[in-house]
Amino acid sequence: MHITRAKLTAFVPYMLILAVITILPMTGNDYRALIGTRAAIYWILIAGLNLIVGYAGQLAIGYVALFALGSYTASILAAGTVTPEIPPALALLAGAGVGAVFGVVVGLPALRLRTFYFAMSTLGFATIVTQVALGWQNVTGGGIGLSGPSLPAPFDTAWGLYWLCVGLAVVFTLITANVAASRFGRALIATRDAEVAAEACGISKPQLLVSVFLFAGAAAGLAGGLFASLQTYITPDAFTFDLSLLFFISVLIGGRGSILGPLLGTILLTLLPEIAAPLAAWSTFVYAGLLLLIVLAMPGGIAALLDRESRKALPSGRAIVPQHDALQELLGGKRLQQRLQMSGILLKFGELRAIDGLDLSVEPGEVHGLIGPNGSGKTTTLNVISGYYRPQEGSLTLGGETLPAAKPVKRAARGICRTFQTPRIIGEETALENVMIGGTLAGRASFVEALLALPRARADERQIKATAMGALRAVGLDSLADIRADRLQHSELRFLEIARALMLHPRLLLLDEPAAGLSVQEILRLGALIKAISREGVAVLLVEHHADLIFDVCDRVTVLNLGRVLAHGTPAEIRVHKEVVSAYLGA
Amino acid sequence: MLYSIIASGLAVGAVYALIGITYNTMFATSRVMSFTAGQLGMLGGVLGSMFILRLGLPMVVGLLATLIVCALIGVLTEFVAVRPVLKSLEQHLYVLSTLAFALLIQQVTAIEWSTEPQPFPRLFGIGEGIWDEKYWLPVATCAVTIIGLEYLYRRTLIGRAFLAVAEDNFAARALGLPERNLRVASYALAAVVGGLAGFSGGELLLAFFANGPQLNFYGFIPVALGGLGNNRGAVIGGLALGLFQQSANFAVGGIFASVAVFVMFIIILLAAPQGLFGSGTARRV
Amino acid sequence: MLITRRTLGLGAVAATSTIALSRPGLAANEPLRIGWLASLTGASSAPAIGFNRGVVFATDAINAAGGVKGRKIEIITRDTQGDPTKAVNATQELISQAKVDAIWGPTNSGESLATTAVMARSKMPNIHPCVVDSLIDTKKYPNAFRIAPANGQWDDAVRNYALKVIKVKKVAVIGDTTGYGVTAAKASAEAFKKDGAEVVYVANIDATQPDMTPDMLRARAAGAEAIILWSVSTGMIARLLNTRGTMGWNVPFVGHPSLSSGEIGSLVAAKENWANVFAIGYKSCSFDANGKLPARSAEFVSRLKGKVDLADTLLWWVAGGYDAVNLIAKAVEVTGSSSGEAIIGYWNTLKPYPGVFGDYTFSADQHNGYPTDEVVMSAANSAKDGSFALAPGYA
Repeated sequence: MHITRAKLTAFVPYMLILAVITILPMTGNDYRALIGTRAAIYWILIAGLNLIVGYAGQLAIGYVALFALGSYTASILAAGTVTPEIPPALALLAGAGVGAVFGVVVGLPALRLRTFYFAMSTLGFATIVTQVALGWQNVTGGGIGLSGPSLPAPFDTAWGLYWLCVGLAVVFTLITANVAASRFGRALIATRDAEVAAEACGISKPQLLVSVFLFAGAAAGLAGGLFASLQTYITPDAFTFDLSLLFFISVLIGGRGSILGPLLGTILLTLLPEIAAPLAAWSTFVYAGLLLLIVLAMPGGIAALLDRESRKALPSGRAIVPQHDALQELLGGKRLQQRLQMSGILLKFGELRAIDGLDLSVEPGEVHGLIGPNGSGKTTTLNVISGYYRPQEGSLTLGGETLPAAKPVKRAARGICRTFQTPRIIGEETALENVMIGGTLAGRASFVEALLALPRARADERQIKATAMGALRAVGLDSLADIRADRLQHSELRFLEIARALMLHPRLLLLDEPAAGLSVQEILRLGALIKAISREGVAVLLVEHHADLIFDVCDRVTVLNLGRVLAHGTPAEIRVHKEVVSAYLGA
Repeated sequence: MLYSIIASGLAVGAVYALIGITYNTMFATSRVMSFTAGQLGMLGGVLGSMFILRLGLPMVVGLLATLIVCALIGVLTEFVAVRPVLKSLEQHLYVLSTLAFALLIQQVTAIEWSTEPQPFPRLFGIGEGIWDEKYWLPVATCAVTIIGLEYLYRRTLIGRAFLAVAEDNFAARALGLPERNLRVASYALAAVVGGLAGFSGGELLLAFFANGPQLNFYGFIPVALGGLGNNRGAVIGGLALGLFQQSANFAVGGIFASVAVFVMFIIILLAAPQGLFGSGTARRV
Repeated sequence: MLITRRTLGLGAVAATSTIALSRPGLAANEPLRIGWLASLTGASSAPAIGFNRGVVFATDAINAAGGVKGRKIEIITRDTQGDPTKAVNATQELISQAKVDAIWGPTNSGESLATTAVMARSKMPNIHPCVVDSLIDTKKYPNAFRIAPANGQWDDAVRNYALKVIKVKKVAVIGDTTGYGVTAAKASAEAFKKDGAEVVYVANIDATQPDMTPDMLRARAAGAEAIILWSVSTGMIARLLNTRGTMGWNVPFVGHPSLSSGEIGSLVAAKENWANVFAIGYKSCSFDANGKLPARSAEFVSRLKGKVDLADTLLWWVAGGYDAVNLIAKAVEVTGSSSGEAIIGYWNTLKPYPGVFGDYTFSADQHNGYPTDEVVMSAANSAKDGSFALAPGYA
């Protein structure tokens, strides 16, 4: 019940903003129209940029480049000095198109460059665009610039343009909210906070980012064209570094992974200089001072301030109780049962033979234990299977088909899922949303369908959510579905990772020390859960230090030492294996 | 003509390199890329001119006063703009806080100093033509600075403590190192380096309030080229940038020179994402 | 209080706070509100800072004398920082929110290009000193008036001087890389070619470039007999002059008024480096062979004494700011109304209005009010209290 109320309260700020938008024209003050229009135009750009900065975590600080491109494209086409004259509406769309194309050009370095490096490359583009605008006088008018597109009635008045821009801003709010709430939005956050886990869930970062860069570029280009209309006249010096930072900072002030936060941030940053304006020469000083105060007052951004849910107390004395029937429901039915076969795998790091001619097979329906002292190559073996390392020799097949080496993102589609030694979880998302990440591949709808929340996208969401709830029930975390993951206990995160892995109905499940940090009671339940999963026909490879758990649940055990198989057999055989006992099990 | 390009290229390159070191020094202890780096360079010029020309102090006193004020601003940066956001480093809020602080510095300078470039005193009066002190002074300062820093980091206890904090913050704290004080000290040190950059380049760049953003921009490139945290890389990157920029100015003219610089920059970055001298990618899994 | 750069900020704060307190009032006592779009803290704000001194001086003088028909003048200043976006916001705010009666500024062309259409939409009386020719168009912008020369007039003066007075045939045209520098250099080079001169070298130099030797060497190699310079960057100008000195090449510099900016005096390495440099100037702000200013200007300077600092600015900026406020005040005084139509209508009848900076003549179809023959060349290094000696060749 409280969820629906929370949803209602979440709408209140939007309602207030809408109310202000509607009341503003009644004042008849053209200055307010101008500032309102400006905020709306900035928001169109920032809404798109928010997906890149706030969701994907890419530091794109030079977005004024795309803004300027859209601005110039629309103005040049509408003026008809170079090409035949084009109607303003089409010119605006062309600006969006150019923005989309260059959005990808500006954004692609993100796939290779990290944080600051990418930030500076976007700034580089911003410099290039304004300098070209300055130098290419025949087309852009050089320093003298050119007139912006003048829109036809009814958009040719201050309030007409206001309504157009505000309308578009509302549209962009809705469609970015659609993306954010879809599997694409969750995948973006996953690539930001848990990139490796995202890969393991089959999320292809390049593909995802290209869609988002196209969209954000189009938004920036469109905003640029509208900006040219609003300014009536554009020159290269309108596209300042300060403007670029305003876009970026709006998202920062707003907070990550939020739509409302950056929206309020945009409004705030558009208004602040106006509030400070009467101070004339000292206005920018005061503006900067206020910015600093804002950061000091709310270091988590506006979104953190608005997030009341996360401050509520959690039930104490809760227990993780996996539900067997939910597991059967989730994994039941026909599935491919496939065998993992590793033969003669050799992996060298320089001269070090991390895995030295390993043969290993995991049958469907069995739990296969992989044990050995630290540095014996257990986790490395998992990493070879899940495609992070390319072995120098040997073959790796699942169900007889070779698994391509060093392609981690392709594993999920082949039914290979895994957990990690340190849980790779998105702290800012709820438990349910974390599990839903695992279902990204299950979605059918395209990015565009998600943007517009078309029926197929909505069906995807319903289905992924239902599956995720099932997975949570299966591992016994359903009562915590709406709790942010960073508030969960460590043991709960281990089960959460298993739930995420179950989302794809795995044929092979790789578990990397799932019992680390669990209580005795929890280990027992974990053991039962692992066993139950394997009995549904899943091949399970379990890396573990807890000997009890290994001997309890495993059908077969392989013991590694220095990258080689030391022993191999049933738990009973291993328990009495001489070398194992002396080398590893001790006493 | 070639010599004049080399002389001015190395000179501005040395200033860029010093700003790069300023970035690195602040980054090492805090993981923050501070927008105040360029403003410190600007202040080195403005304060030097103010102390020596406007207030008539002797050169050495003027230099000391400049560096002291810069160091104070460095410390202030740490307190006001860095410490409060360290907790939310992931969100990159430091971009906002250091930028706001940099803007405060710039606006005060614009209003209280001047919005037009002001002269910087001729310090020694040695050399002319391409051997003019305005060209070799930044290069010499850069050399002295890098040698001084190497000495500090390798031979002194506090320098090693810096390195320890830079290497692993948590471990350093666990060892009982005063991590917070070291951070403050590193901000003061960075500010001194930035001030030196502006002071030694003062005759070249003049005492101009708008030098800050410019230096921020071009001072970052050596950091990116040389690899984050690598001072020697920053020096090589800085000098290379200076030479390339001045050659581009000469070859394609003012408008397209910055286009050439940034195209080059982006291409190099894409080819070597960690910088030319940066360490390889970290282990992911 | 001496009006200097340092008191500017605090003055503005004080001024605005009094405005805020004194806003309500009876219609008759309503102050005359003048919006003032000044780029006070951006790069190249020197002109606005100079204009501002004239604005403050004129306002104080009028108010001390009882105001305009009993109405005090209120200046509402907005710092646009050279940013067109800020300028557009400020313009609309002045019009719709502060409800000013007229606007003076903005002071640079980039801003003015963006604000002109906004003001035209509200038929807001506007005077500005920006040089771009297309800013004045009585059909599109019947509300906009220019009280400074247009770029064409500047161009003519420079070309005349180079070709007819110092009689050179080959020129090098240099601009900076700002929008203004690029456009002005291009226009100037074309005009020189049209007049039959040989343009041997055209360049746009980044104002932050630390060493200008390559460019100067090229200009010399190309055989330039004069350097035509279009830039407001005093740093760049000083570097060029110093390079010229080092090269021992005594080529004349002719061009933008900034060549005579007081800042250059302190930036050149040696006093001689500033000789043989001719900047655009104005008869009203130039002294003759006897060191005398025209009577009207002399009287103005004597009134400024002790009140306005002229040492680090130009007289024409202060005079322009003074004239702008007075033109607005005069319109209200004569017509008895502060409506836009009244002010514009009055300005359209001025032939001429005797200002300090010059005699402004406007009509319904001519809003370029500044007389061409007032534009002269002056010896750049001859500044004395913001005014200059006429360049050799002018009587």
